Amino acid sequence: MSATETTLIQRAQKGDQDAFAELVTEHQRYVFNLALRVVKDENEALDLAQETFVRAWTALPNFKGQSQFRTWLYRIVTNLCYNRLPNLRRSLNDLGDDVMEDIPETNFDNPAREFESNETKQHLQQAISSLDSNYQLLITLRYQNELSYDEIASTLNLPLGTVKTGIFRAKEQLRKSLAHLEESWITA
Amino acid sequence: MDNRLEQDALIEDALQNYPLAPMPRDITASVMARIHVEKRPALVTWNDVAIALVIATIIGAMFIAFQNLPPVALAKLRIQGILLYQDILVNMRWLIPAVLFGAAAFFSALAIPSLLKMTTDDRR
Repeated sequence: MSATETTLIQRAQKGDQDAFAELVTEHQRYVFNLALRVVKDENEALDLAQETFVRAWTALPNFKGQSQFRTWLYRIVTNLCYNRLPNLRRSLNDLGDDVMEDIPETNFDNPAREFESNETKQHLQQAISSLDSNYQLLITLRYQNELSYDEIASTLNLPLGTVKTGIFRAKEQLRKSLAHLEESWITA
Repeated sequence: MDNRLEQDALIEDALQNYPLAPMPRDITASVMARIHVEKRPALVTWNDVAIALVIATIIGAMFIAFQNLPPVALAKLRIQGILLYQDILVNMRWLIPAVLFGAAAFFSALAIPSLLKMTTDDRR
């Protein structure tokens, strides 16, 4: 949390609405995207994002700064998503926690990028957007909102193992999708 | 693309570069408009004040009533009270350990959520 953000939060806690407006402007895109990935409807996601900030304003005096402000916001939006999609929480809990070891993450500057064709890129992006809501939620928190596994576990109130399992399985689905693409190239 | 590492790199790259959807419109104005309407709940609400006043009035009324009762009526009330609770008074020696054990069990139960959280954190 930057010093500016801490100041804005402190001012907003004291009732400064201009400071809160700045916080909304700063975080709205990430909150909206998280909601959008889960509910998959633009209007509903906008509605959820607004509701998130209204609730954040109401609960802001109770925000003690033990977690980051954005993590706190993601917790609010996730709880609202749980209310909208009652099966989401169950599907996350049902993931289990069979992947307990650390998931190796490939370096961002991997040379494999050079071979990546536009078709593969588009195919993978389509595969990501068609993942189930529970996987979308985990993937978005991890890659778009750049939370650590611990932060995701704390945000979603899930065991760390379940978070790792969910992300591992989402990647497995993407790998299968990639394999299908490869097969279609061979048969063509 | 048969190399698993290469596949992993492609997937990781796709995930990290998955674009953020643009905001259809800025929601700041609508959020601020709702905030103007929905005020933060005060620490003490009017409901709390009303309940506190009622309780204080009852306690005050009872105190004044007992102060103004004739001594005979007060003595009769005390006798009735003793008669009503004599069983408890007789068995008080059993009641004290029971209350103590009950309190100990209650406070131990209060510690269970923290212990569960500690266990979960250790597992993490």
